[in-house]
Amino acid sequence: MSRLLRVIVGCVALFILAPIIVVVVASFSDTPSPEFPPRGLSLRWYAHALAETAFTDSAINSLWLASLATLIATPIALAAAYAIVRIPFPGRDGLQTFLLAPLVVPSIVIGLAVLLAFSGLGVRDVGLRLVGAHVLITFPYMVRTIIASLARIDAVTEEAALTLGASPLRAFWHVTLPLLRPGLIAGMVFAFIVSFDNVSLSLFLASAHTNTLPLAILNYAEYNFDPSVAAVSTMLIAASLAAALLLERLVGLRRVVGG
Amino acid sequence: MRRPRTALLLLLPAVILIVVVLVLPVGWLIRFSLFEGQSGVQAAGGLTLEHYSRALTDSFFLGIFGRTILMALIITVLAVALGYPLAHFMWKAPARWRGPLTILALSPLLVSIVVSSYGWIVLLGNRGTINSLLMWAGITSTPLRLMYSEFAIVVGLTHIVLPFMVLSILAALERIDPLLAEAAATLGADARRTLWHITLPLALPGIGAGTTIVFSIAISAYVTPAVLGPSGPNFITTLIYQQFTMLFEWPFGAALAALLLAVAMTVVFLYMRLLSRAGALGAGRHDARAGGRAGAQA
Repeated sequence: MSRLLRVIVGCVALFILAPIIVVVVASFSDTPSPEFPPRGLSLRWYAHALAETAFTDSAINSLWLASLATLIATPIALAAAYAIVRIPFPGRDGLQTFLLAPLVVPSIVIGLAVLLAFSGLGVRDVGLRLVGAHVLITFPYMVRTIIASLARIDAVTEEAALTLGASPLRAFWHVTLPLLRPGLIAGMVFAFIVSFDNVSLSLFLASAHTNTLPLAILNYAEYNFDPSVAAVSTMLIAASLAAALLLERLVGLRRVVGG
Repeated sequence: MRRPRTALLLLLPAVILIVVVLVLPVGWLIRFSLFEGQSGVQAAGGLTLEHYSRALTDSFFLGIFGRTILMALIITVLAVALGYPLAHFMWKAPARWRGPLTILALSPLLVSIVVSSYGWIVLLGNRGTINSLLMWAGITSTPLRLMYSEFAIVVGLTHIVLPFMVLSILAALERIDPLLAEAAATLGADARRTLWHITLPLALPGIGAGTTIVFSIAISAYVTPAVLGPSGPNFITTLIYQQFTMLFEWPFGAALAALLLAVAMTVVFLYMRLLSRAGALGAGRHDARAGGRAGAQA
């Protein structure tokens, strides 16, 4: 491969990684504001971040929200994906597009629309509208990953189970589901990330009492410039990297992200 | 288990979810935009199109739309310029590099947008890395204003959208028959000629698809302009947010949101047309709508 291409790709890689690297390095600095390169190394901002209730409380909210959204979206997506792949019915293509619609509507529009409609209709529960909106945006990613995985599993194995007298549910549970497991887990992991990282929906739907971690980071960073934000961010980067490696192993990152 | 009625039953929860949390609320939003005003959380007054005509004639708002579209275009061009070489490299790279390269290319998408925005603050701030370097090297004596500017929006958003461009182009490159390049080489074409006459033209559908999806992600991004951009409404999305949270002009804000939705949907429609023309069938077509992370992330 030509040297020019290597140099260009090196620069692109630097551009991609630069904001991530500076955050990680800044998190270990011992000065009251993040500096790159740092003057001294310390873990004090990690201690500071972990003692900051704005981060810990919202992190617990985010974990709950992402878990709930993923767990609710999973069976809905599984059922829908199964129907799309395995049962021929009229209008299948159109329906598939409809199922992926939450991906093409800008999330600031979804956030606003849900806020206006739910409050207009008297649904004031913050948890309910947050979970509803997060299920909506995580669900299409799961549908897509499950459809891609199901399409690669030969329907013949399931048919064999049916011929041998298994009920459709039993055949699905014992034959198709185990084969589907990597794709399903990958879809769930990615859905969890999408929900956990979401800002633009939560921005409209969360409240002062029910905050998510990304919102808490934004709020904190608006008034404080100490590196505890870098420390929290570094922990998030470590989690993202772990998730990326897991997804790459399970089914390949590209299939999950779509491309 | 293979009957259409079973399919209907299996699809019902998904359809209910989308109708209740997407179709109905978006309908509500559009309805809101057609009313003169509001009382409490309800739309009030008579029906009118004045919010739309105000949005589309007032020079202040038109100015913001224009800046948003201009920035989105610059971001798209930068994404092609940075994304093509990376996609080409990934395409040619040995199999064992594939995993790490994929993680590299997708990392802006996997790392929380809040985290990367913070990284840009550390890099671009007045006392940030880049200004420290420039001042240390004696290129400038006072820090350049890089943060809280349209420049910062462009940089931050280019970073966010890059994975979508790389994936689109890579998908097109992978559909190229390797025999074509071999044939070109046999016929005496050098690497540059093969790139210009074989690879690039065949990658064009991927570049086209990437361009539309990246543009639609860019114009509907909220976090990056809000965090990295100049203060005040600097982008269509921050303008919408301001109408709702600070000015409480809900019907007008709803009209702006409806306009943004219309533009985003038009671009996505173009994207799907481009993809089907590119001959990407089945799998390709639903990869297509990946764009979504669009709204979701940015």
